[in-house]
Amino acid sequence: MSTVIDARGLSCPQPVINAKRALEGADSIVVIVDNRTAVENVSRMAASQGCAVDVEDKGDGIYLFIRKSSGGQPIAQMTPVECGTVNPAGPTVMVFASDTMGCGNDELGGVLMRSLVHTVGEADDKPDVMVFYNTGVRLAVTGSPVLDDLRLIASKGARILVCGTCLKFFNLTESLAVGNVSNMYEIKELLFSAGRLVRP
Amino acid sequence: MTSTEANSILIFHSVHHAIWAESVLRKGGIECKMIPIPRSISSDCGVCVRIASVDESRAAAALSELAEEWRIEPYPARG
Repeated sequence: MSTVIDARGLSCPQPVINAKRALEGADSIVVIVDNRTAVENVSRMAASQGCAVDVEDKGDGIYLFIRKSSGGQPIAQMTPVECGTVNPAGPTVMVFASDTMGCGNDELGGVLMRSLVHTVGEADDKPDVMVFYNTGVRLAVTGSPVLDDLRLIASKGARILVCGTCLKFFNLTESLAVGNVSNMYEIKELLFSAGRLVRP
Repeated sequence: MTSTEANSILIFHSVHHAIWAESVLRKGGIECKMIPIPRSISSDCGVCVRIASVDESRAAAALSELAEEWRIEPYPARG
């Protein structure tokens, strides 16, 4: 009788974690999942442990019959699990969706944002990319209270991308003072490829 | 105010006073910048106003109408 792991409804990478844990104490297990990503991730983990995997879609779930094969050897240490588009090695991206930090009181939010950007400028580590959209673009134009801090951060190698549509909307295109005008294609790629998204 | 010259920070009891002080100093033509209070001075999650040390007396005069207590400290090289 195989150990049954019901991983339906669980988000990646939990099915993989549960299956791997069960395999440590059993020669054969059955893992029930409810999506193809989980099938692929659990199968990849099982293969990396030298197991044979049979997959059967039974309607109420996708069943993975996993057994340690007699001659099977772990072929490799478990590789990082890909969860959809998550890429842990991707860039650290700071998202400035407004010119305030948090929401509720704009005066306080403005003070907090200035304080944050200053602190990022003073810190040893830096984001790989800073992307500005909606009222966030006001931070990257002439007269912005954080312009010097952004220039400092850019001089350390951070890319600064500013939404062109937003600059136009606020009639600030000519006032851009740091970074480059960007578009939604680039911003979308950035958001989806980020290893870490930081949104103040 | 540059990073190479000596700077001082003005520390207030509330964020409101710091915001007010920054506005008063700006109107008085005194260059300033609101920054987090350096960790070596306080662990509070507070903000202060950084000025060039040469402007200390001008700043004090500009802020003389503030009844609440506030103080000036040298700005440490690294907070």
